[in-house]
This record gives sequence, C-alpha cells and structure tokens, in this order.
Amino acid sequence: MDSFKKNDGNRDELIIQQQRDIEKEISDSTPLVGEQLPLTCLWAEYNGDDVFTAKIQDLAKKYKFIRRTRPDGNCFFRAFAYSYMEYLISNNSAYKEFQKLAEDSKDKLVELGFPSFTLEDFHETFMEVIRRVSPDNPGGYNKVQSELHKIFNEQGYSDYVVVYLRLITSGKLQEEAEFYQNFIEGDFTIEEFRHQEVEPMFKESDHIHIIALCAALGAGVRVEYLDRGEGCIVKAHDFPEGTEPTIYLIYRPGHYDILYPN
Amino acid sequence: MSTPARRRLMRDFKRLQEDPPTGVSGAPTDNNIMIWNAVIFGPHDTPFEDGTFKLTIEFTEEYPNKPPTVRFVSKVFHPNVYADGGICLDILQNRWSPTYDVSAILTSIQSLLSDPNPNSPANSTAAQLYKENRREYEKRVKACVEQSFID
Repeated sequence: MDSFKKNDGNRDELIIQQQRDIEKEISDSTPLVGEQLPLTCLWAEYNGDDVFTAKIQDLAKKYKFIRRTRPDGNCFFRAFAYSYMEYLISNNSAYKEFQKLAEDSKDKLVELGFPSFTLEDFHETFMEVIRRVSPDNPGGYNKVQSELHKIFNEQGYSDYVVVYLRLITSGKLQEEAEFYQNFIEGDFTIEEFRHQEVEPMFKESDHIHIIALCAALGAGVRVEYLDRGEGCIVKAHDFPEGTEPTIYLIYRPGHYDILYPN
Repeated sequence: MSTPARRRLMRDFKRLQEDPPTGVSGAPTDNNIMIWNAVIFGPHDTPFEDGTFKLTIEFTEEYPNKPPTVRFVSKVFHPNVYADGGICLDILQNRWSPTYDVSAILTSIQSLLSDPNPNSPANSTAAQLYKENRREYEKRVKACVEQSFID
C-alpha cells in the first residue's frame, strides 16, 4: 500500500515527464521549420490510398510546394508567422505597416491587463526578429529569406515569436470577449479559455485562434483541409471570409504546414 | 552561456529584488541560476500565519515556455500539497502562461495557502478535514507552522 501511495503521490509530475520524453523524440527528429519540398512529396505519406492520392492531385493543381513544421502543438502559430513574414519580406509597404502594428501592440496588451514586465521580454525579441528580416537588406530577398529560416529554427527566437502571437491572440479574445464567447463550446468562459487553450505553449489551435489572430493582425489565411472527407476535392476555408489570403496553410487532422501557390 | 531562459531568470531576479511582493522572497542558488531557493511567509488571518515555508524552484532551458518544478522543502499540511512537497496548482501545469515570472509563481502559491482547492486534492486527509472538520484542519496546519520555525 505504501509503495502504491508513493507511486501515486505525484502523478502530475510523472505525466509531465512522460510528455517531455515524447516531445524530445519529436524535436530530435523534426526541424522546427523544414525546407521547401514539392507538394507531391505528400504521396509518399499516403502510399496507395486512393482518396488521398486523388486529393493531393487536386491540391497540386493549385500549389507547387509545401514546407513542414514540427508537430509540437505550436504548428499553427509557427506556420502562420513564417508564412506571413515570407510575404512581408517581399512586400515593403506591408512590412512597414506590420512593423508599426507590432511596435504598438505591446502598449495595447498592457492596457488589456497583461503584465508589462514579462510582456516586454517577448515583445523585444519579436521586434528584433522583424528587424532582422527587413526587406531593405542589400543582400536581397534570398538573403533575407535564409535569415528568416535560420531564426525560425533557433528554438529561443522561434518559440518567443510563437509566445508573442499567442499573447496577441489572447488579447484579441479578451478585447472582444462578447463576440468570441459564441465560438466556445462547453462551459468555458473566455478568461478560462485564454488561460487554458491560448496562452500556454504547445496547445493546439482551433478556428477561434485563427479568427482572432487574423483579426488582430489584419491578415488573411487560406486553409486547405486534407482529410478523409467525401469527394476528391480538397476543401478550403478563408479566414476572415471574403479576404484575399496572404498566408496559405494545409491542415491535416491535428497539424498545419505551409503551402506555396503556383 | 546566455540562453533565453537564463537571460529571463536574471530579469526575474532583478524584478524580485527591485519590486518584492509582500510575504515572499526568492533567489538563485550560489552557483546555479537554474535552481532557486524561496520562502513564503504564511498569509495573515489564515492558519498558516507566522509560518516560514521554504521551497525550491527548478527551471529548465525551456523556461518561460514551460513552467518550473516547484516543491515545498518545509513540511506543509495542505489539500493541494503532496507528501513530497510537490504542489498541485493549475498555473504550474496546464494553465501555465509564459507571462508568469517567479514573482507571480510565488504569490500564486501564497494565495493557494489561503484558498485551498479541496476538489483536486494532493493530500486527501487535508482536503477532507478542510471540508468536514475545520478545527482539526487548523490544528494540523498550526503544527506544521511550528515545525517550519525549526526546519
């Protein structure tokens, strides 16, 4: 009985330890953001499956490349950030606008009640990342793109970017709590949802995260849903509806990667 | 070597010194910024009053993206504290936010002492007494308060 009690004594820590082991296995085998690959590389994953083969064929009409992200629960935020910054570094005026929005975002979050001391740390890093991928770099697009890729594969920077986008998302949910409350299933309040599903790292994203982040940044995302659903056409959804997307993602149950249109 | 975790812990420490919250204190151990010692003073008007409870906080390189492991070194009789000193507190598990710092962690644990959550017990005896026999609960708490002077 005693030994049973002892084992049972701190189950939380045992569970956390097990989670960490699994995470380590994933991080050792997959980069945070991978190289650009031909879209048809997906065939290998669904070898011989008729539904997926047909759907990938359909997708290949619209997209040339895919870039994978690590499946660590942060994939939506990381894919979103990488893809959006790739767009920004090729569009100087959008970059400048975003830089201004990002600069001002800290004061806004502080006003919403986020602790300024810790927020500052993430904001500084976020702004540093934006500066480092400035399209004004005399080395040109390729140079900036490779800097972007390097930054996003450095855990410290990459994760801080994810944290900051999570905080911006959380801030938007709070700012328009009444509206977003409609999207929440179950008995969660917006407050509980933010603390349990948005701010903690490694928590997977749902539509509500995407909608709030797009609204906060004024960005548009198209998500292509590749699943076992009916038909041989891949369904897409634009966030917010009716907006011209600048970010293209592919969703397979539980995971987001980046797409590159033709 | 400076890593994001270490840089952030230096900031946490600086803030704890410049703007110390009432009733808690903490500092890195002499030769390792990743392991801290902390003290929480029992909150007034609770059975924990006058107690000085020691804790250790262990950080990983993933801090602040992941929470540290916090453990009471002093014996604490409380519905949400395990026999080995481990603490059952949502913000140290599934509700951790990277915006929390050491100061926020310690003040959260301090308020947990005042407001136990008997519905997710780590010490079932303490939880039961807290709900059903408050006098006996307070007696047991006061015994660990006295023990904390000696530790």
